[in-house]
Amino acid sequence: MQETLELKQRLLAEFSYREQLLNGNTETPLEILRQDAMRRFAELGFPTVRHEEWKYANIMPALSIPFISPKPSILTADEVKEFYLDEIKANVIVFVNGYYAPEHSNIISEEIKISTTSQVLKNTEGVSQFSEISGYKNETFTVLNTDLVTDGAWVTIPDKVILDLPIHILMITDAREYAPIFHPRHTVHCGANSQAHIIYSSYTIGENSGFANTVSEVSLGQNAVLRQYIIQNDNDSAYSVNSSYINQERDSNYSAVTISLGGKFIRNNHTSRLAGENSEANFYGLVLGTGKQLIDNHTLADHATPHCQSNELYKYILDDRSTGVFNGKIIVRPDAQKTNAYQSNKTILLSDTATINTKPQLEIFADDVKCSHGATSGQLDEESLFYLRSRGIPADKARALLLHAFATDVLNHITIGSLRDTLDKSIAIRLHDEDDDIVIVE
Amino acid sequence: MLSINNLQASVEGKEILKGINLIVNSGEIHAIMGPNGSGKSTLASVLAGRSEYEVTGGEVVFEGKDLLEMSPEERSHEGVFLAFQYPVEIPGVSTANFLKTALNEVRKHRGEDQLDAMDFLKLMKEKAKLMDIELSFLQRSLNEGFSGGEKKRNEIFQMAMLNPKLSILDETDSGLDIDALKIVSNGVNSLRSKDNATIVITHYQRLLDYIIPDFVHVLYKGRIVKSGGKELALELESRGYDWVKDEAGE
Repeated sequence: MQETLELKQRLLAEFSYREQLLNGNTETPLEILRQDAMRRFAELGFPTVRHEEWKYANIMPALSIPFISPKPSILTADEVKEFYLDEIKANVIVFVNGYYAPEHSNIISEEIKISTTSQVLKNTEGVSQFSEISGYKNETFTVLNTDLVTDGAWVTIPDKVILDLPIHILMITDAREYAPIFHPRHTVHCGANSQAHIIYSSYTIGENSGFANTVSEVSLGQNAVLRQYIIQNDNDSAYSVNSSYINQERDSNYSAVTISLGGKFIRNNHTSRLAGENSEANFYGLVLGTGKQLIDNHTLADHATPHCQSNELYKYILDDRSTGVFNGKIIVRPDAQKTNAYQSNKTILLSDTATINTKPQLEIFADDVKCSHGATSGQLDEESLFYLRSRGIPADKARALLLHAFATDVLNHITIGSLRDTLDKSIAIRLHDEDDDIVIVE
Repeated sequence: MLSINNLQASVEGKEILKGINLIVNSGEIHAIMGPNGSGKSTLASVLAGRSEYEVTGGEVVFEGKDLLEMSPEERSHEGVFLAFQYPVEIPGVSTANFLKTALNEVRKHRGEDQLDAMDFLKLMKEKAKLMDIELSFLQRSLNEGFSGGEKKRNEIFQMAMLNPKLSILDETDSGLDIDALKIVSNGVNSLRSKDNATIVITHYQRLLDYIIPDFVHVLYKGRIVKSGGKELALELESRGYDWVKDEAGE
């Protein structure tokens, strides 16, 4: 408990210090919001495993790590180079320890507006949109992010813009000299009839721990289409909490594919509010857990209006002493008739000491709906393994082939071909199913 | 080629095979018939190396080597092929890539060069024609969503690709319509040579109108109770299995 207080007290002290620097200029709308968030954080504190939503995700060990709020850190072009997606032409926006790094960023598309959270918060109109979707008050990490927000991307896709090039938001943790804690905040507004792809990827440089407490707020206007790809590949002592709040207007279509590869502790809260009729949300996730990793996906499909659809598929491959958590909540509110909501969580456990905790939570208040959920966990299918071996494929290779196939099911939802291929390749390598010489018929 | 001596096997403690004796030479086709539950599929499974069957006695010598000591993949490398009664659906693995991996493993064992995608495709096109299989079919996930007939055809296609010495067809004819049966049989017949051998396990005599066996064996309660030429199959067709049971002393 002592340690809990410690990080909490340090963060509160940091907030007070920052406030002093304002020289009494604390009555702006932004400062009023932040003070309110600070008070909420003081009340809520960090969740313990006694908190139902954090039952399997024990954040306590992180609180004894001497995390420090970082100063902007300068990386060389060479240090950043390996994290670009070379095969994909994209609008790239880079953050290092939560700070915008314009020297490494490159915005090509002229039809969209890409700014940063710190820039937008300098004007009153921006402040009015800050935390508009998350509501920020209930969830500790979102409250904390609102308090101490570092920076982040602020993307506006105007009405009717069909964005050809994806946006790549690259988050790098520089943990070479100390363990940084930072609070990125991304905001994405998709105008009516617009269409865009956004790739988020996170990596660490250095061996220390890092703690990225990220919040994303995303709105989809009428008939907007947004596809998000989230690649989590930090070092094996990194902590991250990623809270995404999506709001969908009528006829909008949202998909997210979250690929969790590296990180000691990853908690993803992915929430979509289907606020307009005939909107659709698709959440897909792939988790490859090794060592002592903990990867926790909490999703919420909040059906507030009729004729909406949500679909979730999360697949976990867990080895060693890794732990997976899937908590999928579906709320169907009283007006949300003709809802279709599906959810599936499938896990392959590769060791006796790997664990999956899976929990569907359906709260249905309408009577004319179709909802289903399913969860499976177990070892690789023995019959499939025997079939492959009986054709001459050695046991190790047969296992790798089956695991890769299991993962491919999620990767197939990535619609940017080159991104899918790149990820497929790196996942194949991790699963030891390497073959560069693929047969393509026709 | 294959010599089975007093083979006994059980599953979950229950004895199924109670002393099988069988000699198969190169160039021969043997049919193994018998009523349900006689141990036909168990024999196929034991020969292919399925782990849930425990061999409790006897030996199996294949090309001078102890077959029972080998893993399933080693048996395949040595030239044993099992056409499954129930081929497994494997989503996410294309038939083409699966077979390329398998074929190259077998070739590696034989000391042959690995085939690259181009050479493999050429070979695959040739064999697909033989089995009347559309190429697009081979790009699809292995057996996923295939009809019963398509799955069986795919088994024989795999056999054609891997070119085994000994093929064991486990009820490959069950559930096939006559057209599919003809395609499957034509495939098997065209692969026949003086250097390989086939064991056809079947419940129905009908298959043997298309694949003409040199020998027919009747398996009953875990033993081969009667052996003969192809005319034995016809006799079984007209008289059923009861007289065999009677002769076996039931």
